[in-house]
Amino acid sequence: MNIIGPDKLIFAVDDVTACKQFALDYGLTQLDDVNFVALDGTGIEIHSKDNASLPEALSTGSMLRKTLYGVADNATVDAIKAELSKDREVKTLDDGSIETMDDMGFVLGFQVTIRQALDLPAETINAPGAPPQRGVNETGVSKEFVAKPRSLSHVVYFVPDAVKAEAFFAERLGFVTTDRFKHMGPFMRPAGTNDHHTLFFLNTPPHMQGVEHFTFHMSGPTEVAQAGNALVEKGYQSFWGPGRHIFGSNWFWYFKSPFGCNVEYDADMDLHDDQWVAREAMPGADNSQVFLLHYEEKWAPGGPPPSKAS
Amino acid sequence: MSRVRLGNIVDIADGQARGFDPGCTGQDSLFVVRKGGMVYAYSDVCPHYGSTSLPWKRHQYLDAACKYIVCAAHGALFDIENGLCIQGACEGQSLAKIEVEVNACNDMWVDLRIIEEFKS
Repeated sequence: MNIIGPDKLIFAVDDVTACKQFALDYGLTQLDDVNFVALDGTGIEIHSKDNASLPEALSTGSMLRKTLYGVADNATVDAIKAELSKDREVKTLDDGSIETMDDMGFVLGFQVTIRQALDLPAETINAPGAPPQRGVNETGVSKEFVAKPRSLSHVVYFVPDAVKAEAFFAERLGFVTTDRFKHMGPFMRPAGTNDHHTLFFLNTPPHMQGVEHFTFHMSGPTEVAQAGNALVEKGYQSFWGPGRHIFGSNWFWYFKSPFGCNVEYDADMDLHDDQWVAREAMPGADNSQVFLLHYEEKWAPGGPPPSKAS
Repeated sequence: MSRVRLGNIVDIADGQARGFDPGCTGQDSLFVVRKGGMVYAYSDVCPHYGSTSLPWKRHQYLDAACKYIVCAAHGALFDIENGLCIQGACEGQSLAKIEVEVNACNDMWVDLRIIEEFKS
């Protein structure tokens, strides 16, 4: 199954105004009344919780109504429909996408991807012993720089049975497990991307089923830090980070949000192919991040000038 | 001095909430919800993780209808009157309640020694 990754997450939220403002402050671009997108066209849809045209909400109160995956071509859409129709209803919607439900009860959609190819430089660094990535007189940072999310990266679900959830995505949709936290859940990537993960499951009690977080890729760690700093300066509250994960190696900074889940910035994720052998580790702080920083307001050394007497 | 004045009830509109940082830590450690002439105060810590504050922005402790207290990390809903989580990650657990003394002038007071207990 040539699934590339999530194209869109569709939310039906309690506070539409707050969520739309969060999306804009996070750095997404508003396309129309409900669509907020990254530079490659992937993004989120924000609806009111009263919107009856959307798939039903989970009983747990999760505000995510649907995860819409982008796939390579119509043949892949047809193949997914043929596979999943063996044991569940798969609807074809007016826009040509298909809609069904996974084994956990999350609504999934599949469409020929809307993801646009980007031709943008990554964040560059200069390091002794390596060829410079930035030329002479080329500066690395700017106070005026505005960070822009590039691409919808991944979504993390709370699920009551991570083994069952993993089996569905592996056996029915061709996802590959890249790494795993024992007794907690797997990191998974679909066949159409080398990203370490576009999906991660956290095993939880049934009443927790929902979204733990979702995130967009940034150009590098500086952009993660600048985007996060800008969110803090707008009054949003940090949940976790900034720091750098071990599985995936991605830089991260998570924020609480009015979406009923955390929203992350990430950058510089590992790429893997079918030669990669999945690692396993116990969950916990030491295995979750290689380091974790702590936000403080901007500060400068100095202090008052010396007194005349000294 | 262990008693701290949080202000007057009228500083919080009915059906609204407000965070406070009486220990001057730079982070609100408690919040007060005013509802129907009553005030309810809780430690600003979600029982899901035990170290996560609730709001996504300062003072944003309630849902859009101002019916429940919300933890913005994972959307848990809490009853305003008793702090019980009725939906979400910490269902069945409760926020740590803080006693608020309201005097005849409607000034709200808390005892920092009580708040200190919630740090352990």
